[in-house]
Amino acid sequence: MEGASYQRFPKIKVRTVRDDFMKFELRETDPSIANALRRVMISEVPTIAIDLVEIEVNSSVLNDEFIAHRLGLIPLTSERAMGMRFSRDCDACDGDGQCEYCSVEFHLRAKCINDQTLDVTSKDLYSSDHTVVPVDFTDSSSGFDNSENRGIIIVKLRRGQELILRAIARKGIGKDHAKWSPAATVTFMYEPEIYINEELMETLTLEEKKEFVESSPTKVFDINPHTQQVYVHDAEAYTYDDEVLKKAEAMGKPGLVEIHAKEDSFIFTVETTGAIKASQLFLNAIEVLKQKLDAVRLSADTVEADEQFGELGAHMRGG
Amino acid sequence: MTPSLPKLVQAGPPEVLHVLLDGRVVGSIASDIVEKAVIHLRRLKVSATFAIPEDLEVGYIPLSMGGAYPGLYLFTSASRFVRPVQNILIPPEESNNIEFIGPFEQVYMEISCPDGGDGGRKDVFPATHEEIHPTGILSVVANLTPWSDHNQSPRNMYQCQMGKQTMGFSCQALNSRADQKLYHLQTPQTPIVRTKAYEKYNIDEYPLGTNAIVAVLAYSGYDMEDAMVLNKSSVDRGMCRGYVYQTETIDLTEQNIRSDRSQRSFGRSNLDKSSHHLIDADGLPYVGQRISPNDPYCSIYNEITSKVTTNKLKASEPVYVDYVAVDVKNKKHIQKANIRFRHPRNPIIGDKFSSRHGQKGVCSQLWPDTDMPFSGVTGMRPDLIINPHAFPSRMTIAMLLESIAAKGGALHGNFVDATPFSSSMKKKESESESSSLVDELGSMLVARGFNYHGVEVLYSGVYGTELTCEIFIGPVYYQRLRHMVSDKFQVRSTGTVDQVTRQPIKGRKRGGGIRFGEMERDSLLAHGASYLLHDRLHTSSDHHIADVCSLCGSLLTTTLIQSHKKAVREMIGRDLPPGRAPKKVACVACQTSKGMETVAMPYVFRYLAAELAAMNIKMTLQLSNGAGA
Repeated sequence: MEGASYQRFPKIKVRTVRDDFMKFELRETDPSIANALRRVMISEVPTIAIDLVEIEVNSSVLNDEFIAHRLGLIPLTSERAMGMRFSRDCDACDGDGQCEYCSVEFHLRAKCINDQTLDVTSKDLYSSDHTVVPVDFTDSSSGFDNSENRGIIIVKLRRGQELILRAIARKGIGKDHAKWSPAATVTFMYEPEIYINEELMETLTLEEKKEFVESSPTKVFDINPHTQQVYVHDAEAYTYDDEVLKKAEAMGKPGLVEIHAKEDSFIFTVETTGAIKASQLFLNAIEVLKQKLDAVRLSADTVEADEQFGELGAHMRGG
Repeated sequence: MTPSLPKLVQAGPPEVLHVLLDGRVVGSIASDIVEKAVIHLRRLKVSATFAIPEDLEVGYIPLSMGGAYPGLYLFTSASRFVRPVQNILIPPEESNNIEFIGPFEQVYMEISCPDGGDGGRKDVFPATHEEIHPTGILSVVANLTPWSDHNQSPRNMYQCQMGKQTMGFSCQALNSRADQKLYHLQTPQTPIVRTKAYEKYNIDEYPLGTNAIVAVLAYSGYDMEDAMVLNKSSVDRGMCRGYVYQTETIDLTEQNIRSDRSQRSFGRSNLDKSSHHLIDADGLPYVGQRISPNDPYCSIYNEITSKVTTNKLKASEPVYVDYVAVDVKNKKHIQKANIRFRHPRNPIIGDKFSSRHGQKGVCSQLWPDTDMPFSGVTGMRPDLIINPHAFPSRMTIAMLLESIAAKGGALHGNFVDATPFSSSMKKKESESESSSLVDELGSMLVARGFNYHGVEVLYSGVYGTELTCEIFIGPVYYQRLRHMVSDKFQVRSTGTVDQVTRQPIKGRKRGGGIRFGEMERDSLLAHGASYLLHDRLHTSSDHHIADVCSLCGSLLTTTLIQSHKKAVREMIGRDLPPGRAPKKVACVACQTSKGMETVAMPYVFRYLAAELAAMNIKMTLQLSNGAGA
């Protein structure tokens, strides 16, 4: 296998970073790498989510499984998740998920005592670990009145109804269950390269130019009001829908514009559930991807080395 | 030749017609004014100021050759079917022109459909009434199909069938119901694309489906032949989750009468504590308790024999106790209890789903989210993938329209009206509006930067490369149907056999097998798979080794001789290996054990011999040694 090296050195340029949103460019690499990152971000970066619910009293209108399911889907702050253990291969406990290395305990106790409907929300969950709490969506920077925002509603109680439960949150990955997925959306697009054939474009009347510009549902092209020239307004708004190409064809001017997808440059959009920061999600994804690649490299040497991977074995075997 | 009958004068039209009110003759009316009277009566009927009831049925039967007996038949009695139509003889500005008509009078009335045409009506019989909307011909169920006028008619019929099989939100007072079986969807949604009837009948109170993002493409091969691929993450997040509520009624009085007035009541054994974690001190289960198949869920104490019997759960999956209700007529000894179980039913492979256009399908895979195709712009992954082959032959255009409309509706944040035949109504109001439905829906998408035709560029979730085609994708309201594999699957390796024939029993509930019948036999024969056939019909069924007496040819007269050596063998020593003791058999008829042979045969054959013997027919076997015969 000696010979040409396929090694490449991808570059990343971050465009926007917010807590739960990130947009960046990934250049000089292949679609396989870009897609691997996307897949890992969605389904293999670990987070913490409620996995076991012990219901003591439930006289609400929702049944026990329904409430347990809703609790599971509440995003919990999971900065700790990378360092935690999966409860199934935790040495400190029998995998019952009650030790500090692999689990976090929550308590919820709510009873409605008056005639007003009581909203039981994620804020009513009391965590045994202050680093793992339900995600707070109140954005202090936004101008909205935050007094209304009381977290994610779990159930509504009427007078006399009561809910008491104990929940255990564990580390997991999105492949096992979507509740452990830290990503709301991860997507990438190939960066488009758009060339306008200026010569041909000048043969169009202003009317035709307008028609051409408006043929794209997204605003890719625009007309300079002074020079009346068509220019590329926002190349990335192009969705590869070929509408403008079809329009050019229909106007009898094929080759009016040429659009290519750059095969080695991608624009990523990452949105998280709030469990981890978008930037952290990306870093964790690279970390997980590296671990997976290490596992592949090791298994290339010894096929039977499967057992020694420990935590990685889970990743390799698909959770 | 004289006619045998006296010559009859052809009677002319009657001068007067009888008037009947609720079946009684109340008088007569001159036939030249009856039509005017009817029109006047209908006018009085709709106006609020007169005492004529608004549901009066004015059944005027005109004179006709060979028709019904003419007359004016009026009905005012209670509980008659009525339906509203417009009386176009009364101008709407004058007074209320909605008239309730009944089935008797309807056949003799001229009611036109407001589709702009005259319905082939002749000028001599102008329309006196008009339907309020063309959808008046549709039933409640048929009225819920969006744009059913764009569908092939049989598909609408299929939807009317399936609309009644949905796992929906069937009742609001679930907690106080004791239905034998009740299907319930956990998180239903209101459809984005809906008809006017949907709102009129308040279906939002009883919704029956989910707005699923449906991509129409052949992906993974698991969507062939009306199978559909569900996104596992969507299911994880609660899409199409449901429950089956099942109530068991245990009535001890009913059983007591049969079993000789022995006094029985609910109660558990204090000696046997094995089921105490499932059953409370009152003999009934704990509410919220999970019960596995074959676990006891209630126990009954017999006061005379002081024995405790338990009722065991007959189900194929664990259930939860949802509710326990007791009849307290007899306060001391509770005799009757309703126990409601909750079966969680998350979508699994083999469950049935359907859109509102007779497009049903079976879930074939719960596909990982990451492997689903995704949109580069929005990052959306479909909840559901169906095959494009579902469309050309079935021609359910409305489903495509629904997808586009729902996408536009979702982008604009409003519901889309999909009442059928509304375009025919529109023409009357404004002639200028010429844009087609597709134009209307397409421009909604373009306004939000989407493709006019509802297609999107998707990327392969596995490779990250652009798919060769643009994919038609959008939200379609999907219904979960109540046919689920967990209620239907049948599997058996070994198990109980029939007492008489020793063949495997039938019936799913009893763990029986599926019959390998004549046609299946023919099929295997045609393939020349006779060894397999032998295995199915003999080895795996009622394989039997019978002793046959070769002297008399009987297989019924054989008997086992008690081996006297057995005791001796045991005395000799236990060190000997327990060698297979040769079975000693003898023929009772021939009084000898000579010539006994063992023959492999289906057990039913032996049964046949026994049945024949019962009818005094002897069956004789002639044994031969293989090919040497």
